[in-house]
Amino acid sequence: MSTTVPGTSAAAGQVPSTVPAVELDNVSVEFPRRTGPVLRKLDLRLEAGEQLIVFGPSGAGKSTLLQLVTGTIPHSVVAQLSGSVRVGGTDTADTGVAALSRCVGVLAQDPSSAVCLPDVEQELALPLENRAVDPEAISGRIDAALRAVNAGGLRLRKTSALSGGEGQRVALAASLIAEPEVLLLDEPTSMLDGEGIASVREAIERAVDQYRPAVVLVEHRMDEYAGRRGLAGLPGRAVVLNGEGEILLDGPTPQVLTEAAAELQARGCWLPLETELQAVFGCPGGLEAETVRNGLKELAAAHPTGASVEGHPHSTDAPVLQAAGLSVGRPQAGRRRRRSSGPAKAGFQEGALLANVDLALRPGEIVALLGANGTGKTSLLLTLAGLLEPAAGQVAGPRPAMVFQNPEHQFVAGTVRGELAYGLAAGSEPVVDRLLRQHRLEHLADQNPFRLSGGEKRRLSVAAMLAHHRPALLADEPCFGLDRRAAIAMMDAFRAAAAAGRAIMFSTHDLRTAATVAHRAVVIAGGSVIADGPVFEVLAQREVLARAGLALPALLEWVLETFETPHRMRAVLSGLDAFVPLDGEGSRP
Amino acid sequence: MSAGIEPRRFTDSPLGRRNPTVKLALLFAVSVALLFVFDPVTPAVLYLLALAAVAATARIPARILLLAHVPFVGFGLGLLTVNALSRPGTPLLEVAGLGVTAEGLTVGVSLGLRSMVIGVLSIGFIASTDGVALMTSLHQHARLGVRMTYAVLAGYRMLQEMPAEWQTIRSAHQVRAPLRSHGRPRSGVRSFGRSAFALLVVSVRRGERMAQSLESRGLGLGPRTTWRPVPLGRADWWLALGVLLVLALVFAAGEALGFREGHELLFARGAGA
Repeated sequence: MSTTVPGTSAAAGQVPSTVPAVELDNVSVEFPRRTGPVLRKLDLRLEAGEQLIVFGPSGAGKSTLLQLVTGTIPHSVVAQLSGSVRVGGTDTADTGVAALSRCVGVLAQDPSSAVCLPDVEQELALPLENRAVDPEAISGRIDAALRAVNAGGLRLRKTSALSGGEGQRVALAASLIAEPEVLLLDEPTSMLDGEGIASVREAIERAVDQYRPAVVLVEHRMDEYAGRRGLAGLPGRAVVLNGEGEILLDGPTPQVLTEAAAELQARGCWLPLETELQAVFGCPGGLEAETVRNGLKELAAAHPTGASVEGHPHSTDAPVLQAAGLSVGRPQAGRRRRRSSGPAKAGFQEGALLANVDLALRPGEIVALLGANGTGKTSLLLTLAGLLEPAAGQVAGPRPAMVFQNPEHQFVAGTVRGELAYGLAAGSEPVVDRLLRQHRLEHLADQNPFRLSGGEKRRLSVAAMLAHHRPALLADEPCFGLDRRAAIAMMDAFRAAAAAGRAIMFSTHDLRTAATVAHRAVVIAGGSVIADGPVFEVLAQREVLARAGLALPALLEWVLETFETPHRMRAVLSGLDAFVPLDGEGSRP
Repeated sequence: MSAGIEPRRFTDSPLGRRNPTVKLALLFAVSVALLFVFDPVTPAVLYLLALAAVAATARIPARILLLAHVPFVGFGLGLLTVNALSRPGTPLLEVAGLGVTAEGLTVGVSLGLRSMVIGVLSIGFIASTDGVALMTSLHQHARLGVRMTYAVLAGYRMLQEMPAEWQTIRSAHQVRAPLRSHGRPRSGVRSFGRSAFALLVVSVRRGERMAQSLESRGLGLGPRTTWRPVPLGRADWWLALGVLLVLALVFAAGEALGFREGHELLFARGAGA
């Protein structure tokens, strides 16, 4: 079923005697309790040192492909595997995961579970010890590996004290230190903010340059990953999996993306901006191309739903949530918080993350909370939600709702229906039915919440909060880990809730999402709120973004330069979102 | 963040520099030896010696050493009470309608003091031993399997992050909980159960991912090397010898002076009463 883009067989020019790094031969994978195979008769050959990026809608088998290479399938995960998978010439069926690790290094999404030992040094020594490297040589190799990922200064640190970006670089060093032939990158930047992504991307580039492994990359945030170099910053070869577990296209990345643009866009995948614009306007070249620019300008003029930029209906009403002189402390894990409402203790202030926050949320408005990792976005939301005692100042207003970053943290019931009904008065079945319909959860009503897909979990956690008539909804990174279609659906739900008179505040790393949906943006950096105003005005202030460590995506930069009014800017962004069809979501088994 | 569960360690002390496996083995040896002691004097002497040794070599501040005693004192008092009140033998006095026997009191005091001996040695061991060094040393010197060793270490890291995770889950549930009449979210046993279940699910998944990370680092491959072995030197053997010698001396003195009693005490007159 695979089509190879002509003119560039990936293996061309390679010495024929070289053993391919990865070789999949007629591979099918089927999981129990899932109808139909996840991967179907797959053939794939990756030469030594070759770099590959895998595209495909969620559920298309991208992670399954990676698990095949590590040997997790069939050794650790129950699955039916047919065909043969050879890594560095060894058949994975005959070799355990540990033995395969002689040739395979893995960098997973979540640095906190990719780093397993208490000290950075031990973490890096472990792969070498396991391969019986002479202890005399280990210290030198630890230094070299940390230098290769730009983390020379982290050697003596405790792993529990690393930031996300640091943790991910240490994990990368650990996966390369034994010099594997294949490096698997499974959404390596998904947990990171702009700065973290930049540091990890540079680390990957340098390390790959130095160790020369074959690379298989699965990544959603392509533009951030590729950086300023655009498509050239991505691996040279691309494979597109269709939703049926087959290879749709295989070839050089720019060609593959050109051909698959429309298909991937229709399936709701994240795409590099250039590819997305090509899918919409049928013309390559990204923002440089005249056709594209004209098309975007037409969107700006034509699209009527982009109107609600500042003129949202209830914004002059009294605030439903108001913070005055608020100082936000750090969450104190494992320590009992005093629930007394007396004045905050004086000593508490010194650890404050944010000081002197004045904020008001009014009915009908959507506010984006922006800022780098670790600046206190989550803590601010927790404090506004009344879950964290303010270090100083106060929060006034009726009890707000809050959606946590990990939806699993919030589940309380055994079924989706029970989850929505939780805390509602008896006899509210009609409300639950309406919510199920509204949030496209009907077909899942009797499933266990923990068994849903990522997008479904997120929808459920938002729906469960909207079930209650609380005037303000706070959401912590509500689009995290979602594919584009699910992210757009989430923002639609926010718009609908705001139109019904709720106030919404959500934190995000994605400035484009903020600009597409929010009326206002609040930026925090260096322990205080450094900007609070209409979203496009805030995004146009370069010094604010620079102070907050936020990088404006190319599209937003162009939109801000080109258009005069926020209405037009908004119209372009929501116009582009409208090209992603929303049906078919949640239909996966 | 982990202040709640991580005990303070005093590894830079004479006792802290000794081999963890040796220390653990000695702790075990003393505990086993005490199984054969039912008189109060032997454990009392051993307790005083152990306390002096720990205080002198582990450099634990007196306050912490004292506080750490609390659970063992509690346990010891429990043993004392139960034995004094329930063991058959020569009646001594009556408390609240329950008879205290001489044998019961002797055995009770002995068992209580036994838990104090084990307690003070455990405090010395835990306070002077780094967890990672212990696991590495057990792997090196006690042939603990490498998978087990690193599973425990990874579990330790997970444990470090669990309080924060628990806090998040509690907050996440609190925001959903219905309010009671006085305006506070409802929180009862069931709500704790729900949070515990969420923590379980999240932790199991996390553990799975960590296990995969460890395997992908080649854990469990054939012959391996150890980068920074935990030393096992002459001083450790002297320590072992010293502790065992003192133990033997106390036992011998007990025999010579006639204060030591074994398990015969348990049945001596008890059966007849």
